[in-house]
Amino acid sequence: MDTSRQHLNRLLARLFTSVPLVGRIWAKFAPIAVSADVPWTPYDKPLAATRVCLLTTGGLHLRHDQPFNMEDSDGDPSYRTIPADARPEDLCITHNYYNHQDADRDFNLILPLERLRALVAAGYVGGLTPNHYSFMGHIDGPHVATLQQKILPMLLARLHQEKPDLAFLTPS
Amino acid sequence: MGLIQRAIEASGIPTVSISILREVTEKVKPPRAVFLRWPFGHPLGEPGNVAQQLTVLHDAFAFARTAQRGEIRDLPYRWRRETYRIPEEWGRLESGK
Repeated sequence: MDTSRQHLNRLLARLFTSVPLVGRIWAKFAPIAVSADVPWTPYDKPLAATRVCLLTTGGLHLRHDQPFNMEDSDGDPSYRTIPADARPEDLCITHNYYNHQDADRDFNLILPLERLRALVAAGYVGGLTPNHYSFMGHIDGPHVATLQQKILPMLLARLHQEKPDLAFLTPS
Repeated sequence: MGLIQRAIEASGIPTVSISILREVTEKVKPPRAVFLRWPFGHPLGEPGNVAQQLTVLHDAFAFARTAQRGEIRDLPYRWRRETYRIPEEWGRLESGK
């Protein structure tokens, strides 16, 4: 376990939260691979006929579910499933790399499930998939391959069973 | 997050995301994103501000239908000193919340 890197990650995340300019400068020079292409699937359904799936990298999960592993400095590439009818009191956040005090008070800041349920009830959005998905982000080192080769195929198989017309993703 | 979004889109499901770090999003190149220069941990805004959260959702969903491939749209909301109202098109949410 590389605790010095964990501390560094935590320190950087807090610095970026309190001084956003530092985050932007970091991002400009960070060794993030520049993608060559942009994948594309057309979307032209009316919103009232659109079935939405929500995904976040905010570390949200059901209280009784296994928390994300914060001990691994390369992150935790797994995801947690959040049912469409989850209540706020059933949810919690395990994530040390951003300040989630506000999101703890209102999970809709990172996974707007209650807002979407109201939109569906009012007929403005067509529906919600039975499940929604949460990651913790900050995936590095060997876990990038784990995410790409193992975790994402599992997620995609589930999404294709649940058939969203649109996936809405939020960072933390 | 961009990696996940790109994989979902490539598998045939359209996606739209919120970006709070434009410089990263420009490199990762997700299919569609709306950008807000807001603090980490607050992509939908402030706790309990239903009108603010619905405004972001409304703008992201509307953008998803008109976006060009790879477009990142800057939403015009500052972090503070904005007054939000429930989007007009979603007026039935006024009473119920």
